[in-house]
Amino acid sequence: MNRTNPKRFSKDQIPLYLYLIPLAVFMAAPIVFIVFHAFKPMDELFAHPPRFLVSRPTLDNFTNLFRMAAGATVPLSRYVFNSVVVTFTAVMGTVMFSSMAAFALSKMRWKYAGVLFTINNLALMFVPTAVTIPRYMTITGIGIDNTYFAHILPLMATPVVLFLVKQNMDNQVPNELIEAAHVDGATPWGIYRGVVLPMIRPAIATGAILSFQLVWNNLETSQLFTTSESVRTLAFYMSTLAATGGIAGQGMAAAAGLFMFVPNLLLFIVMQSRVMNTMAHSGLK
Amino acid sequence: MEKVIHANTFRMKCVKLANKIKGLRKSMRISGRTRRNWFYAYAFLMPWLIGVFLLLIYPLYTSFSFSRSQVRFPPTGLVQFPVGWENYTNIFALDTVFMTGLVSFTLQLIPQMAIIVSFALIISMLLNGRIKARGLFRAVFFLPVIIATGPVMSELINEGVATVPAVNLSAIANAMDFLPPMVLEPIVGLFTQLIMILWNSGVQILIFLAALQKINPEQYEAAKMDGASGWECFWKITSPALRPMLFLNVIYTVVWLANSDQNPIINMLHIRMIAGVLGPGGMPGGYGHASAMAWVYSIVVLLIIGLCWVVLHERKDKDKPETKRLEQKSYLPKRREIVRKLRKSDMEGIGVDKR
Repeated sequence: MNRTNPKRFSKDQIPLYLYLIPLAVFMAAPIVFIVFHAFKPMDELFAHPPRFLVSRPTLDNFTNLFRMAAGATVPLSRYVFNSVVVTFTAVMGTVMFSSMAAFALSKMRWKYAGVLFTINNLALMFVPTAVTIPRYMTITGIGIDNTYFAHILPLMATPVVLFLVKQNMDNQVPNELIEAAHVDGATPWGIYRGVVLPMIRPAIATGAILSFQLVWNNLETSQLFTTSESVRTLAFYMSTLAATGGIAGQGMAAAAGLFMFVPNLLLFIVMQSRVMNTMAHSGLK
Repeated sequence: MEKVIHANTFRMKCVKLANKIKGLRKSMRISGRTRRNWFYAYAFLMPWLIGVFLLLIYPLYTSFSFSRSQVRFPPTGLVQFPVGWENYTNIFALDTVFMTGLVSFTLQLIPQMAIIVSFALIISMLLNGRIKARGLFRAVFFLPVIIATGPVMSELINEGVATVPAVNLSAIANAMDFLPPMVLEPIVGLFTQLIMILWNSGVQILIFLAALQKINPEQYEAAKMDGASGWECFWKITSPALRPMLFLNVIYTVVWLANSDQNPIINMLHIRMIAGVLGPGGMPGGYGHASAMAWVYSIVVLLIIGLCWVVLHERKDKDKPETKRLEQKSYLPKRREIVRKLRKSDMEGIGVDKR
């Protein structure tokens, strides 16, 4: 994958491994915990102090989960469908609109670019909790409550992604390149599509991952902006399990946690190789 | 002004006229392009702008108006009584819980941020080294990011997985008891959250790595040939390349920590928001008060970021010529600038002394 990766193991790498391996174990711990937690039988789930590894793995949690879902008024597939649609649209929208806005703010000269970017940065600092009720008012005001848009629109306004992409564009995309494209007669859209986007792919991938986990795990939009079960998302349904399922709910919640985590992991694996590839092979050295 | 007399006046006049027309045409074309540039800038921004104004700026405005009133929720909707700055004065005069929380949060945030950023820096440099299975290591260090938010994380904390059992807290506290409790408490708190801090550093590692990858390895080779030590290489090659990313990372970390679900202030806000006018512990509550708390909190975070900016921002090079700086900023120079330049070249082209 990387040109600089050595083919063989050599002695001078040992110090690096000495630092990296223990830290990597540290970092991987929560993932291992999530996976094992889902397969724990009841007594191990409530063991104190909690143990990392499972000694008698069982699938009970999963069977409970599916039995529960089969008995519900709204089928599980509906929640899954909602989540997939909402997440896909929101992530695509975030990435596209943020990078477009970042392009305009970073590479075009016009009057209020600085002001707008400052507004974005100030919004970044603001506690999202504090705008919950005003947001609710806006959403009912424009009449999109109880639709998919109630999930998508609030989460698409993520200043973090714009901030990351814009800063990356400032640093990674040389103005000379854009100037050259401009001289060659490329339209602004052509420059954005053909020159800028391929160069900021790492930032885009990072933004997409961040936005994905924000949307996929989001409970608030389901709780606040929808009243009908049929437009609520999987994350919301999974979070209700622990509350409604009694003692078995804990096990189901653990299984649901793993369930929710797997798409995160898959997306990350796909995106990660892309991020690293672009960074290793871009001709920007 | 002294008039310069040329041999062939008529020819000069012709050239001058032609140049003028050319310049005029050029400047007209450029003015058209600038107008289109405006249009395009707004076209690119429009979707984002609409979203931001509808779902960010307007709610922010409403929340500010809430913070200056008492908000009640009778069965039919929402009622606002304007109370001026009372909520804010209440925060400073009555709400001791929030104020102490805010102070200890600030004292914790700065060292936490420093640890996260320096940890990310070290890890990214290790990951940029020549090792086997680099991709795997990178994946492992970024992974916690995708679970650091959301319900999974709070469950992990409840289970006590996020603390280091090997670290004896009371021993640390005893060893440093010469410090005043105001300083000591955040430090001890830092140790309890050590793993959490490390788990939060994935994005920062990625950002640093991107910058490190851009450094040409030949630069290091050349430096080595000239007899530079590893330490010198770090300061003269690596650190200038990382500097812009450092600032980005610091801001990102502060914002991330300030808005995370595990933040005690955010949780306090949640509780106060749904509480009545008298919240838990006799502290003021209600939506109006919580909004005011949110504003005060945001301003504090803003001040912290301002502080980071003062420390870390890059000073602009003053000795760069004006046009150079212009070119660096944008690919479409200002129209006036172009016209001026054209006029100048006009004059030079025909050799007129421009005194």
